[in-house]
Amino acid sequence: MSDDPLDASSADGVFGRSATEFGVTALTTTASPQVPDDLDLGGDSRARGTDRGFRGLVTFAGLTVLIVLALILVTTTARAMPAIGHEGLWGFITGTRWAPNDDIFGTFPMLYGTLVTSLIGMIVAVPVSIGIALFITEVAHLRLRKYIVTVIDLLATVPSVVFGLVGVLVVVPFIVEWYQAFSDLVSPIPVLSSLFGPANTGQNYFTAGMILAIMAIPIITSIAREVFDTVPEADKQAAYALGATRWEMIKGAMLPHSFGGLVGASMLGLGRAMGETIAVALVIGGAFHISANMFDTGNTMAAVIAQQWGESTALHTDALVGIGVVLFAITVIINFAARGIVRRAEIQMRGSNA
Amino acid sequence: MKLNRRAVFGTVTASALALSLAACGGGDDDDSGSDGDMVSGEIIGTGASFPDAYYAAAIEAYADVNPDLIVTYDAVGSGTGKSDFGEGLNDFAGTDSLVAEGDGPEEGAYQYIPTVAAPITVSYNLPDVEGVQLGQETLAAIFQGDITSWDDDAIAADNPDLELPTTDITIAHRSDGSGTTGNFTLFLDEATDTWTLGAGDTVEWPSNSVGGDGNTGVAQNIQNTEGAIGYVDLADATETGLTFASIENADGNFVQPSLEGTTAGLDGAVVNDDLSYNPLNASGPEAYPITAPTYILIQTEYEDADKAAGVKAFLTWLLTDGQEIAADVHFAALPEGLQQQALDTLNETIPD
Amino acid sequence: MTTLTNGTPPDLTGKNLSFKRAAANRAATLGIALCVLIAAFPLGLVAYQVISRGGSAMSLGFFTEEIARNYRTEGGGMGPAIVGTLLITGMAALISIPIGVFGAIYLNEYGKTSPLAKFIRTMSDVMTGVPSIVMGLFIYVAYVVVIGERNGLAGALALACLMLPIVIRSTEEMLRLVPDELRQASAAMGARKWRTTLGVVLPAASSGITSGSLLAVARAAGETAPIIVTVGLTYIYKPDLFDGANTTLAAQIYRNATQPFDASQERAWGAAMALIMIVFVFTIVSRIIASRFAIDKR
Repeated sequence: MSDDPLDASSADGVFGRSATEFGVTALTTTASPQVPDDLDLGGDSRARGTDRGFRGLVTFAGLTVLIVLALILVTTTARAMPAIGHEGLWGFITGTRWAPNDDIFGTFPMLYGTLVTSLIGMIVAVPVSIGIALFITEVAHLRLRKYIVTVIDLLATVPSVVFGLVGVLVVVPFIVEWYQAFSDLVSPIPVLSSLFGPANTGQNYFTAGMILAIMAIPIITSIAREVFDTVPEADKQAAYALGATRWEMIKGAMLPHSFGGLVGASMLGLGRAMGETIAVALVIGGAFHISANMFDTGNTMAAVIAQQWGESTALHTDALVGIGVVLFAITVIINFAARGIVRRAEIQMRGSNA
Repeated sequence: MKLNRRAVFGTVTASALALSLAACGGGDDDDSGSDGDMVSGEIIGTGASFPDAYYAAAIEAYADVNPDLIVTYDAVGSGTGKSDFGEGLNDFAGTDSLVAEGDGPEEGAYQYIPTVAAPITVSYNLPDVEGVQLGQETLAAIFQGDITSWDDDAIAADNPDLELPTTDITIAHRSDGSGTTGNFTLFLDEATDTWTLGAGDTVEWPSNSVGGDGNTGVAQNIQNTEGAIGYVDLADATETGLTFASIENADGNFVQPSLEGTTAGLDGAVVNDDLSYNPLNASGPEAYPITAPTYILIQTEYEDADKAAGVKAFLTWLLTDGQEIAADVHFAALPEGLQQQALDTLNETIPD
Repeated sequence: MTTLTNGTPPDLTGKNLSFKRAAANRAATLGIALCVLIAAFPLGLVAYQVISRGGSAMSLGFFTEEIARNYRTEGGGMGPAIVGTLLITGMAALISIPIGVFGAIYLNEYGKTSPLAKFIRTMSDVMTGVPSIVMGLFIYVAYVVVIGERNGLAGALALACLMLPIVIRSTEEMLRLVPDELRQASAAMGARKWRTTLGVVLPAASSGITSGSLLAVARAAGETAPIIVTVGLTYIYKPDLFDGANTTLAAQIYRNATQPFDASQERAWGAAMALIMIVFVFTIVSRIIASRFAIDKR
């Protein structure tokens, strides 16, 4: 295995990443001098006007995100108000009965399903993605790396509805026996037996989680690769110089340095997982109960909107939009939490460096 | 890529142009032949997915009858179809359920036109067991989770001649909101006193259940799960090769789902003034009790005369020649009386 | 232990490694390699299924003919859906990529750590988590109902909303990787900031931006739920995005896959294959373009 770290930083072809070379020099980051924002070396006023204009243009582009989000939030919240008002905000979120017939709208079963499937997805996707990113940056030969990058990129290009299609027509019918076999295997073990109970069907939390993992892997991998490229070459070389094995170098030099970035990468993957609609709707089983059994049918917030939208009317429609609003709010909370984690990690790292 | 796209766009525009020229040519010929029936243009319907397979077949056949009128039916669901109707997004709406307050269409702005009906089968997966019969109360007990095993006494009582296995029952239901669910639960709600889950397009099923997307999804789940029982429309059930249970009807006979039994059920149903009717659990010895009607909503006043003419032309065909296609795709045609009633109403609503 | 042939990391011959450390290293390497296989497996499964089942639907007519109105009848093609996919996704890219790239320029080159930039950054992460169907509902309420018809542009707007945050965040990551030395060098040559940004920073990051945007395009091309809500359905060619209901391959996959008939399921697999082929070709072409324009390759 040619795992020369210097070698790893050289460029690769069409499928490679251009920033690689820069990774070596650029990312001693924090200390590198910045170009002052207001640097003005003179020039005529027209040029200055262009500069101001450009600044205005890009600022507006940035603001577009806020404008669109605000519009989404306003239109959807307004639409959802009747249903949320009907249940009360707390009742809407924590209610465990979803019975549109009786105008009872409790979204907790879907909230639970969203969290469980996303969690399963992340438990699988994050380590696998980090593994792939490490393989690409530290282990693979130049040529092999090209192929792997291609495979991951192709995985990203597979439309989610195709995953749903393969999932429901191909995987679900045969995988139920594997689930049942696994369930039988762990039945004597206390916690696992309740987590992996009897499987009646291949449509369940676990299958949905797997599909979410597959969808999140390319996103997390591509960002994790970039993050690993920011690890200063000096750090890696220093670790090797101290006699570290590759694994020890990864553990000691790369992972701590990249922690914040990896959390950010995982968050983007999680965002994708929580919002995935059609693929999950096809394999989740569409049941409205809360079960610790990962092999049980369930539902997620995004999936239920897609499943029930067509046949919903009046208050039921409003409640479905309300689920969208709640999902939105959860994404906000998770993002802020992740930011907190990243900040703390950065402070810790700086502390240890000093 | 840019080049590619431009090339594609070019060919497409060219072919579209050619098509529209051809269409114009056709139209002129018709006019010179002074054939008043040949309407041209484009009409869009959205709504119920239950009759989608029939409408798709009918639209294909109609394209041969009158290629100048392009009819599109987008099976987005009855609820969306009705709200589209209210918003003016479609020219007609398909719906399995009647219009309720807050659905979108305003009182007096719509007219029901019944088109076809179809039986909802109760299909099951028990290898080596055929000819299961289910009483109405038993059916309710199974689908609300009171009976969880196939060798339950209530099932045995309905099937004295059968050797029933101890297999657990898994209920297969629709995960998406559906008129099929609506009609099936409405039947259980009306026919029995013991049904507690209510009637509606989305029901709180018991925990021994699995949801599938669309009738096809439910059919696949039944096929893949031993001991499963579920409700599927006849077309999907036949296509998937499922086994149907015979269901007790209002006269106390156990009846297999069939198109004849459905038409018998329609004959026994009372038709209201607005052309809505309820064929569920209709009387008659041969009537199959779980029969779902489906309607098209038309506007009482179309702003665009061309659209009005298009809708009228298509529906007139659908209620006459179009009825003959129904049986081919496992839908039951309307009885002749109702057909004529629907045509009369159509002519009154959209006068020439 | 490990077969380090060139031994460039000094003294890693492994002779003096304890068994435990050597084993840990080998296990880790194995685990890392296993991760690649785990990711490759679903791709292989999907590729096998789509090619084996979709391949039989392929013919020249499949790419050019109008869509069959009936689920049961064989024949017909996906021509309108292919054109619809290209136009709607292309329009969405045309809307979202410039805005996204400019927005990212604001975040990385101007806003940096200002409260507004931080807020925008957080909110674009939030936006990636908004379910696609909610984007569809938003456009439905804000555009479709207002103009009174479903059309291709509505789909493009919904997809653009989905792509925007992905483009912004991935572009920003790429801009961040551009070394400050480049900016300083450009500034030292007397270039104004906008010139530096457009002439030096952006090209330096271009290949990364392209691949990030591709992730967004790929996600958008396969979106189904917002298309069904905003675009509607048609069987015929609709090259004008403003002219009434349209259709895309993803919507056709969903529509046909949920029917029990062999003819329609075969069409669904065929449409899946066509969709993957489109995205695949697009990926390769963009990669070649990106590598040609990347500043580091000059």
